[in-house]
Amino acid sequence: MSQGLAGYVIRRLLWTVPVIIAISILVFLLLRLAPQDPIDSLLGQRYDEEIAERLRQKYGYDRPLHIQYLKYVQNLFQGDLGVSTKHGDFSVAEVIIPKIRVSAGMGIMAIVLVFGLGIPVGVYAALVRGSFLDPLIIGFWLLIDSIPVFVSAVVAPWLFALQLGWVDLTYEGVLHPNIILPVFVMSLPGVAGVARLMRASVIQVSNEEYVRTARAKGLRERTVVVSHVVRNALLPMITAIGLSLPGLFAGSLFVELLFGIPGIARESLQAVLGFDFDVVLGLVLFGSVLFVLANILIDIAYGFIDPRIRITAARGG
Amino acid sequence: MSNRTLGLMMGAVALLIVAVAVVFVLVLSGGDGGDGDDTPARPASDSADRDDATDDRSTQEADDRDDGDRTTGGICGENRLVTFGDDPATVFDPIQIGDASTAEYTAEIFGGLVTLNLDLEVVPDIAERWEITDGGHVYTFFLRDDVVFHNGRRVTAEDVKYSLERAADPANFSPTVLDYLGDIVGVRDKFNGRADDISGVQVVDEYTLRIELTEPISYFLQQLTYTVAYVVDREQIEDDPNNWTRRPNGTGPFRVKTFRPLEEIVLIPNDRYHLGPPKVDEVVFSLSGGSLSTRFQNDEIHVALVPAVELAGVLSGESELSEFYRPVPQLSIFYLGFNVNEPPFDDPLVRQAFAHAINREAINEVLFFDAAVVADGILPPTLPGYAEAVTTYPYDPERAAELLAQSRYADDMPRIILTFSGGGGDPPDNLQAYQQQWREALGVEVEIEAIEWSAYLRELRRGTFQMYSAGWIADYPDPENFLGKLFSSESRLNHTGYENERVDALLNEAATLGDQEARFRLYHEAEQLIIDDAPIIPTFWTISHYLVRECVQNWVDPGTIVPKYRYIEIDTSGE
Repeated sequence: MSQGLAGYVIRRLLWTVPVIIAISILVFLLLRLAPQDPIDSLLGQRYDEEIAERLRQKYGYDRPLHIQYLKYVQNLFQGDLGVSTKHGDFSVAEVIIPKIRVSAGMGIMAIVLVFGLGIPVGVYAALVRGSFLDPLIIGFWLLIDSIPVFVSAVVAPWLFALQLGWVDLTYEGVLHPNIILPVFVMSLPGVAGVARLMRASVIQVSNEEYVRTARAKGLRERTVVVSHVVRNALLPMITAIGLSLPGLFAGSLFVELLFGIPGIARESLQAVLGFDFDVVLGLVLFGSVLFVLANILIDIAYGFIDPRIRITAARGG
Repeated sequence: MSNRTLGLMMGAVALLIVAVAVVFVLVLSGGDGGDGDDTPARPASDSADRDDATDDRSTQEADDRDDGDRTTGGICGENRLVTFGDDPATVFDPIQIGDASTAEYTAEIFGGLVTLNLDLEVVPDIAERWEITDGGHVYTFFLRDDVVFHNGRRVTAEDVKYSLERAADPANFSPTVLDYLGDIVGVRDKFNGRADDISGVQVVDEYTLRIELTEPISYFLQQLTYTVAYVVDREQIEDDPNNWTRRPNGTGPFRVKTFRPLEEIVLIPNDRYHLGPPKVDEVVFSLSGGSLSTRFQNDEIHVALVPAVELAGVLSGESELSEFYRPVPQLSIFYLGFNVNEPPFDDPLVRQAFAHAINREAINEVLFFDAAVVADGILPPTLPGYAEAVTTYPYDPERAAELLAQSRYADDMPRIILTFSGGGGDPPDNLQAYQQQWREALGVEVEIEAIEWSAYLRELRRGTFQMYSAGWIADYPDPENFLGKLFSSESRLNHTGYENERVDALLNEAATLGDQEARFRLYHEAEQLIIDDAPIIPTFWTISHYLVRECVQNWVDPGTIVPKYRYIEIDTSGE
């Protein structure tokens, strides 16, 4: 890594700090200023003013907002994200880390599936453009894409579990074969987008002069396509993969709800509905850090693939 | 295109796509594609390979399954019960629990002096017997000498005293201790920080405990069956004050094997349980996974709920699920509450008119497929002390219109808002039906408003609603838990503002009467008076609609929190 790139990365990383702080203040204020009271939600019908008051003291909700926030940040720097009011003595990290693992595991499988299918499909569609196969293939994946997840997540279990008996629906962990169905349900709609992006990219690159030059040099068609067209056409894919990373950790709400998967999306929904302050805050912070990091990763990856960008970066752009 | 390799690769992908598409179309057009499958059913796993069966039970090949009759093998081949559950709302600390689903698990893990049997009668648990003296003021409990915690430590009267004092300790914020144990002398003092111990709880000797009450309430033993009175292990709590609830050392029939929030809770038997150890090897509460009824059909779970869309078919006997159907009346009621201090519902005639104007029978038939029970009273039919003689206002639109015409607000009806707890979207169908029926019978336009749950509870406490939709589930099986809690002018759960001297007198008298029959008669009188005054309109008693595999024996749902899984047996013989 050149010194310029290192400096660039460090600068970018430093910039994430104010971004994260701004996000945390915003979310903190939004949560605290909302009319809901987590103690109300916690005690439910058993609400008693005295107990509620003691619980507010215990969780520090009785203190002024800025003190609450500073206390939160102070704990944050000690690696303490707070405690879940919904799950009693479970710390936020304990609540969300297992869920992140589940969603991330499924997300990685989904990414492999989406890009593993989408890229070859897109390349093929570009290579056969003009023939009937091109619209047929893209059309087929668009059809899949247009089935909403809340439909396929209901139809797929009926089809593959009840009618065909290929899978079970009990959740047995992210490495168990039962996870295949939900992963397919959440991934297949994404294939069309990747395929179309790849197709457009391949077509665009095919028209570049250096491709013509390569052909003119008498290189074999295979070499031209693989080394010159596809490699360069993959560039936008890097952005696409990078940008889809945080989304994967975020999980897919419908899939997690309808397949009952204990992932981050289901936990987020529960945390928001139950006003589990610290958990919501922890989740949002986690998501923002991930998003910022993914963007930096994309930039670095660009540098490796396209030297022109690296040079610009080294110059301090 | 001259590039052969790439072309071939792409061709293979295209072929795969086409293959998937063809299968899709075939299956969709074929409908019951799985039925023609004639491969033999998977053999029942015997006890020798049970462990293997557990490990790879879901990697079973697809063709081992067929749709209909799977009593041999499958989920009925193992001596473990797989059922569903809700994610616990709190940790397994008996004094923190206020919701039914967490209480259900806790009741299996812990125990108290007394417990309930499946008929909802109070029966001995840690206490072998008890004497009631001083006109009902003093309870002396004689403890069994063979009760142990899960770790083998013997339970003594000191443990019971510690547990009760821990519940009342102000540092522990128990939301339920005053409701259930507040009648013990000294509990309030301890809870308010005015005393270090509960003066009304005395250890007489190692196995004798004396509890003194401020009032000789006759439902004290019922209250003692609630989780807040369960016995906990002082040593464990003091050793690990923050994390002991993950593997609580209770005295109940089951121990916690695993608890993964949003995933599953697995309980395993306490083999030394003094009332008879459980018969299954494991109880799995599945908190995750796909649709319950699909998994039930797919032989992955023993117990499920009937989904709303299937209910009509299941009830009519036409569904293939009908043979597994088990309706279970719950100890709960839905009702519409009025603020009896605000116009227009400060006039009883308006409330009565509203009650007469709704046709609950029609709503039950059309909207609920007759799957609920029209509440002809407040106390549910399965509650001890239920009285058939009590009746509610029947559907009578003419009478309703007459009553309204006689009321103070006949010509000057203020704006009326009915609030329910919920999110966006349309209000529940039944509320819209009431709205329509009020409009037709009374010419009154009622607006319906949704409000988020915690705000709903807060406004309910403050009494700001004019009219609201609510429900109540019994905490313990006694009429007091409905009538005393909801309608006594002294109860903090009385959200209607209802106050009737005669009702208060009856409730107070009934609370301390020893003779159960006479006591129930007082409650019946109070119940009818309340219904006549109409601070609420009882609408429906609820029924839970279960699906239960036939190999599960002694499965019952008593409708309230009762330790019940130790009775269950799985018939693995495949009959």
